[in-house]
Amino acid sequence: MIRLAFRNLFQNKARLVISVGGVALALLLILSLDAVFTGVERQITAYIEYSGADIWVSQVDVFNMHMASSSLPDTVARKVKYVPGVASVSPILYLTNNVVAGDERNLAYIIGLPENAEFGGPWSISSGRSLPAEGEAILNRNIAEKSGIALGDEVEILGKEFKVTGFSEGTASLVNSVAFISMDDFEEMRGSYDTVSFLLVKVSDGESPEVVANRIQSQVRDVTAQTRNNFAAQERRVVKDMSTDLITIMNLIGFLIGLAVMALTVYTSTLSRRQEYGMLKALGARNTDLYLTVLAQAILSVILGFLFGLALTLLLTVVVPIFGSNLALEVSRISLLKVGSVSLVIAAVSAMLPIRQIAGLDPAMVFRGR
Amino acid sequence: MSLARRNLFQDKTRLGLSIGGVALAIMLILILKGFLAGMNRQITSYLDHSPGSIIVAQEDVVNLLGATSLLPEGIDQKAETIRGVDEVIPILSQFVILDLHGKKQPAYMVGYEPEQGGGPWRLIAGREPRSKKEMVFDRVLAERHGLNLGDQVEVMGRDFTIVGLSSGTTSWMTSFFFVRKQDAEDLLLAPGATSFLLLTTSDGADLDKILRRLNDFSGVNALTKKEMASNDLKLFAKVFSAPLKLMVGIAFLVGTMIVGLIIYTATIERQREYGVIKAIGAKNRFLYQVVLTQALFASIAGSSLGILLANGAAQWIMSARPQFLIVFEPVDSGQALLAGLGMALLASIFPTRVMAGLAPAEVFRK
Repeated sequence: MIRLAFRNLFQNKARLVISVGGVALALLLILSLDAVFTGVERQITAYIEYSGADIWVSQVDVFNMHMASSSLPDTVARKVKYVPGVASVSPILYLTNNVVAGDERNLAYIIGLPENAEFGGPWSISSGRSLPAEGEAILNRNIAEKSGIALGDEVEILGKEFKVTGFSEGTASLVNSVAFISMDDFEEMRGSYDTVSFLLVKVSDGESPEVVANRIQSQVRDVTAQTRNNFAAQERRVVKDMSTDLITIMNLIGFLIGLAVMALTVYTSTLSRRQEYGMLKALGARNTDLYLTVLAQAILSVILGFLFGLALTLLLTVVVPIFGSNLALEVSRISLLKVGSVSLVIAAVSAMLPIRQIAGLDPAMVFRGR
Repeated sequence: MSLARRNLFQDKTRLGLSIGGVALAIMLILILKGFLAGMNRQITSYLDHSPGSIIVAQEDVVNLLGATSLLPEGIDQKAETIRGVDEVIPILSQFVILDLHGKKQPAYMVGYEPEQGGGPWRLIAGREPRSKKEMVFDRVLAERHGLNLGDQVEVMGRDFTIVGLSSGTTSWMTSFFFVRKQDAEDLLLAPGATSFLLLTTSDGADLDKILRRLNDFSGVNALTKKEMASNDLKLFAKVFSAPLKLMVGIAFLVGTMIVGLIIYTATIERQREYGVIKAIGAKNRFLYQVVLTQALFASIAGSSLGILLANGAAQWIMSARPQFLIVFEPVDSGQALLAGLGMALLASIFPTRVMAGLAPAEVFRK
C-alpha cells in the first residue's frame, strides 16, 4: 500500500509540485515567523553574549537591558570589585538614541566605554579602531554602509559631533544597532558624572559566575547581579512573552492554510484515482487498506512539504541578509519540532476527508467502466 | 462561460476547499495589514491624546518611543518665556519591563504632574495619582493579569498601588502606565529630570516662530506633535515592514498555489473533452478563456470569502486578546480582490500551457 501511495503521488508530477509547494509555503509561514522571532532574540542578546563579561550588575530589580533603564552610583563599582571571586569590573553607560548622518537617522544602543575598556566593546571589527577615544564613534558596518557613512565621516549623537573611527560587525538587529562612544563623551552629553548604567564583571579563574553573582547580590546593596546567561535569558523572555500571542494567531492561520491545501490535494488525488481504488476493491482490498494508502500519501506529501518548507526557510535565512535587511532568520529546534507535529496533524486530518468517497466506492463500478 | 462554470461546480467539495484555501490566504494578508494599521494607531495614541501641539525633546531626539530623552535643566522656564506659549507640561518617560505573573511585559511609564496634565486621557475607573507610589494602569493589561483598583504592581523594585484604570493606552507590544513625575524621578534615580515638554499655544500663535525660538535653545529639539507621531510611525514601520512583507508574500504564493492546483486538476481531468472541443474547431483562445474564467471565479469567490473571514477573525482576535487592534481600511478590500485577481492570472499560466500543447487528434487515438 505504501508503494501504491508512492506511485499515486509521483505519477502526476505537476500535481505533486503544486501540492507539496502549497503545503511547503503554509509551513513556511509558521517556520519563517518563528525564525524571525528567534533571530530577533539572538540579535538583541548579541551584545550581552559577546560582551566578554561573566556577570552583569544592574540597578536593583532591573533585569533587562532592552526597553529598560538602569542607573547605579559609580561607587558601586569599587564595592563589587572587593567581592571575592571578582577579577575585574568594567562600567558602561547605556541609552537608546539616534545616530544622525545627514538626513539618515538610525536608532542605536549608545554604549559609553571607559578608556581601555577590557570588555563591553565591539567584539568584531571590520575596519578602523576597536575602542573609541574622545570625540570618536564606532558604528555597525551595515548601518553605516546603508547611510553612506565612511571612516572619518562625522555623525551626530545627542547633539554632539563624532568622528567615525571604526566599523563593527554583528551589532545590528531588526530594531537597532550598537554604537560605541567614550564614557567621557557620554557623561558630558548627559550632564551626569557620578552614575553608570551597568557593571560588567569578569570572575577569577576557577570561580563559578553563579556563585560570584550570588555573592555580589548578597554583599552589595541595591543591585541586581546576573550571570551573562541569565541576563541574556531575561532578554529572550521579553521577546518571547511579547510575541507569544501573535505567533499563536499566525501559526493557527498557517495551520489552517496548510490543512486546506493538503485536504484539497488528497481529495482531488483520491477522486482522480477512483477507478483504480474501485479495481483494488474488486480484487479484494479492504477499505482499511485504501484508507492507509490515502493516509500514507498524505504523510508522504506533508513530509516532502515540510522538507521543502524547511529548505525555503533556510534559503531565506541566507538570502534576506544579502538584500541588506537587518532581519535575521534563525530556525530553532523547538520550531522544527512544532512544525513537524503540525505537519503530521495536517496529514492525518486531511486524509479523513476522502474516507467517505472510498467507503462509498462500488467495486462493480470498475466493470461498468465508470 | 457555462463550460467553465460546469467544470468548477461539478465537484462541490473540491470547489469549496479551493475557495476556502484562497479565503484563508486572503484573510491572512488582510489580518496582517489590519494588524499593522491598528498598531500604527496604538503607537501614536499618547501623542494623539496628550495636551499641546508642540513637543520639546533632547537634541537629536525625534521620537517619543524608542529613544531616551533628557532635557537640559531649566528649559521649561525658558520655554514659558516664549510669546505664544500658554502652558509647558513636563513629563519624564521611559520604557520599563514589568514582571507580571512571571511574564515579561514591556510598558511605557509616563511620569507627569497630575495638576498640569500629560497623564491618562480616558480614566474608566478610579482617579489620578495624588500621593507617592500610586499609579494609573492600563485597563486591558490589568484585565489580562487580574489586577484591580487597590492592587499593587512592582515597578523597578518598588510597589505601586493602582488608583485608576485608563482606556486606549494599550498595544500588543506595550502598554502605558502613569505615575507622578516625582515617583518616576525616584525610580530612574534622576532627580529633577524631564524627558519631554508638551507645549500648548495660544490661539493664533505662530507655531513656526515658536519652534524656531525653541530650537535656538541649546541641547533641545522642538517639533510638532504631528511630526513626532509621524517619526514614531516611520520608526516602527522600519522594524515591522520586512517581516510583514515576507508574510504577505508567502500568503499570496499560497493562494496562487491553491488556485493553480484546482485549475490544473480541473484542466487535466477534462483534457479529453478539451481535445474534442479543439478537434471540432475551437481556438486556443476560447479554451484559455475557459481556464481563466475558472481561475477568476475561484479566486474572486475566495477573496470575497477571505474579506468576510478577516472581519470575523479580527473581531474574534480583538475580543479574545484586547491588546490587539486590527483596523481595516476601505482600500484593503479592493486590494484583497486585486490580490485574488493576481492569483488567478498567475495560476492560469501553467494550465493554459497544457491546453496550448493539447493535440486535437489525441482524443481520437484514445
